[in-house]
Amino acid sequence: MNRIRDEIVIALAGNPNSGKTTLFNALTGAHHKVGNYPGVTVEKREGVRKRGDRVYRFVDLPGIYSLTAYSLDEVVTRDFLLDRKPDLIMDVLDSTNLERHLYLCLQFQELGIPVVGALNMSDEAEAKGLRIDAAALSSVLGIPLARTVGTVGAGIDGLLDLVDSVVEGSVPAERLPDYGDELEGRLEPLTAAIASDPAFSAAFPPRWMAVKLLEKDADARARLGSHARAAETLELAASAIAWVERHFGKDAEIVVSEQRYAYIHGAVKESVKLARTPDFSVTEAIDRVVMHPVLALPLFVGVLWAVFQLTFALGEYPMAWLETLFAWLSASLSAALPEGLFKSLVVDGMIGGVGGVLSFVPLIIILFFLLSILEDSGYMSRAAFATDKILHTFGLHGQSIFPLMLGFGCSVPAIMAARTLKSPRDRIVTILVIPFMSCGAKLPVHVLLSAAFFPDRAAAVVMLVYAFGVLMALGSALLLKRTVLKGRATPFVMELPPWRAPTLGGLAWHVREKTWLYVKKAGTVILAASILIWAVTTFPAREADAAELAAIERSIAEADPGLDDGALESLVANELSRRALEASAAGRIGRFMEPVFKPLGFDWKIGVATITGFAAKEVVVSTLGVLYAAGGEEEGADASLREALRADPAFGPLSALGLMLFILLIPPCFAALGAIKAELGWKWLGFSFAFLLAAGWLVAFAVRQLGLLAGYGG
Amino acid sequence: MTLADLPEGAAFTVGSVLLDSEVGKRLADMGFTAGAEGRVVRRSFFRGPLQVLIRGYSLLLRRCEAAGIAVESDYESLGGALPGGRGFGRGRGRGRGRGLGMGGRTGIAGRGRGSGGTCR
Repeated sequence: MNRIRDEIVIALAGNPNSGKTTLFNALTGAHHKVGNYPGVTVEKREGVRKRGDRVYRFVDLPGIYSLTAYSLDEVVTRDFLLDRKPDLIMDVLDSTNLERHLYLCLQFQELGIPVVGALNMSDEAEAKGLRIDAAALSSVLGIPLARTVGTVGAGIDGLLDLVDSVVEGSVPAERLPDYGDELEGRLEPLTAAIASDPAFSAAFPPRWMAVKLLEKDADARARLGSHARAAETLELAASAIAWVERHFGKDAEIVVSEQRYAYIHGAVKESVKLARTPDFSVTEAIDRVVMHPVLALPLFVGVLWAVFQLTFALGEYPMAWLETLFAWLSASLSAALPEGLFKSLVVDGMIGGVGGVLSFVPLIIILFFLLSILEDSGYMSRAAFATDKILHTFGLHGQSIFPLMLGFGCSVPAIMAARTLKSPRDRIVTILVIPFMSCGAKLPVHVLLSAAFFPDRAAAVVMLVYAFGVLMALGSALLLKRTVLKGRATPFVMELPPWRAPTLGGLAWHVREKTWLYVKKAGTVILAASILIWAVTTFPAREADAAELAAIERSIAEADPGLDDGALESLVANELSRRALEASAAGRIGRFMEPVFKPLGFDWKIGVATITGFAAKEVVVSTLGVLYAAGGEEEGADASLREALRADPAFGPLSALGLMLFILLIPPCFAALGAIKAELGWKWLGFSFAFLLAAGWLVAFAVRQLGLLAGYGG
Repeated sequence: MTLADLPEGAAFTVGSVLLDSEVGKRLADMGFTAGAEGRVVRRSFFRGPLQVLIRGYSLLLRRCEAAGIAVESDYESLGGALPGGRGFGRGRGRGRGRGLGMGGRTGIAGRGRGSGGTCR
């Protein structure tokens, strides 16, 4: 059939680590968009390439190893290919690792959609001494193949020429993989039975369906339900499976894999020759150190430490610039807008909230950049190797390490990064414990309280709080895996890609994508939350009359007669905002909830700070500043807040420690909660919220009671 | 003999995968099919994962999954000395040098074999 069309929809597919994303960038340049397809949680990127008057529309599918129904990514790919029927599948193959990459390619072939293969990383294959006869391989497999080097964009035109010739029909008919006489003898009648329903076989290629049934594929069996002779066909499939298992003495799905690999092995043997064995491998040389049985783990800790040091050291400057920018913005808006509620909403609510979050963007960019280097170079797989034993002991998976590490920066990207986990249970557990990894916004809270109450060993106390968070994460993971998310451990079977130099384009891509998601959250969820928090701290509005003002002035002046006018004025303003906050809805909620906080040794002020902390955790500090009438934003506010906290008789080292742990463990900010909802849905969000709240309360309670028993007051 | 019993550097041929269908199918998809040749590249301490070369690429798997893969390897018949040959030139010198000290560790792996095959 000749289909000469102006626009060709091409599904770009392949194994992970095949250089698919790099090739996608080389093919489409900057013309792409990231879109969420309805019904699936995995994003697919789309990009366009124009050549002559033809438009090539590429859809980048997730990297997968096979087309079983066991993993989400595989199901997503399968559904896309079956339901949307692209004009062509472009399979990206790693030339250095052809056997396993072709394994997926053969499954694409059976889908009845034309397949074109990109022999990617052909430069690496040459360096490894592999000589690939592309023409021979192509004719044996019946798949048009072209050599490419995605990192430098080589071979793109040749690849598009192949696409043209396939679409124009000038390439000979495809050949389907041969499973050997025994299996073919079973597949033939099964294929015929499936093809007997024309409507069904138009939707699902009969041959593919027959193979999947032989593989006992649950999704294929379910889809067969719409077949006119479903029961008969299933019976036929069952007898075919029984025959194969009797004949081969092993599971039918294993036999199918074996035959597929046997077919590939034969084809590759004929067309790929190892010209010479390189006597030195860079990857092996690096791995001897990085994956050293003893050194791997300390090295991982060192890398982690370096990433965070570098992030904060480099991020300090742009962060300060942004803070200055937002301060200038709110100052000029303050001057420009008329006094009143609207000004308060814009300046205190919107700019205060969103600006606070956006000033973290430079940190996020740097953190993502560094972590993307670790990911693209191949270090993350080594980190999984080093940490799997420990994580597995606590019911987590080696692959959880990346999301958990991101959690020290910001929970939002961390929660999204958990998508890389294959098993839903692992993914849920990882997302549920990520909030325990103390994020960047909680740091100011820890710093304030430890500096106020443990001045001699503030740094040690902060470290202790971080370590406690990690222990809580591990302990909770174990608890959850033993109770709510019981089940068998997911296997740790993970490819270890060779070390590769990350490309700047690839890094920019990762950073842009992750940062954009963060910024988008700041613009939507956080904006809404900031307005909400502003409203509960502002209403009902409270106006002080002249008599009250005079009384305040008098009492402050009496307490400290030596004050000059300026200092007096700012103290009066602080006292007024404290009274306003106390009378506001937030203040009332705080007072109403005081019985909940009492057993923890906290009063209503902590209740208010807890509520405002849902906008962003660092807001806890500025709220306490207002409540302790120490001034929210002014110079020296930190020092005076420390003084004020120390002066509060209800507050002591024990309450401070309890509060740090409480803030560490209770549910995260709205942005993170929004991310949990987006990834896991309302049910798990509710569970997560209740779980974290219980953890925070119980730990703070235990610290308080144990401390009192041990004789520490306050 | 299972993959978990082999010392570093040992070459092997896959016999069969003894794990249940989902894990077994995953391993078969990744290239562990009867007759496939490979080599143990690296084992970690404290019974952590191992790195295996299979069909020309490197794979990490836990020891309990490795214990579910029956393999043939002639390292034992050579009295603990490793074959190393079979086109894996790189592994040879290193493997043999280490082979002598490997007896004790193989013993530990051997004791664990009774519980192998199922993963918790």
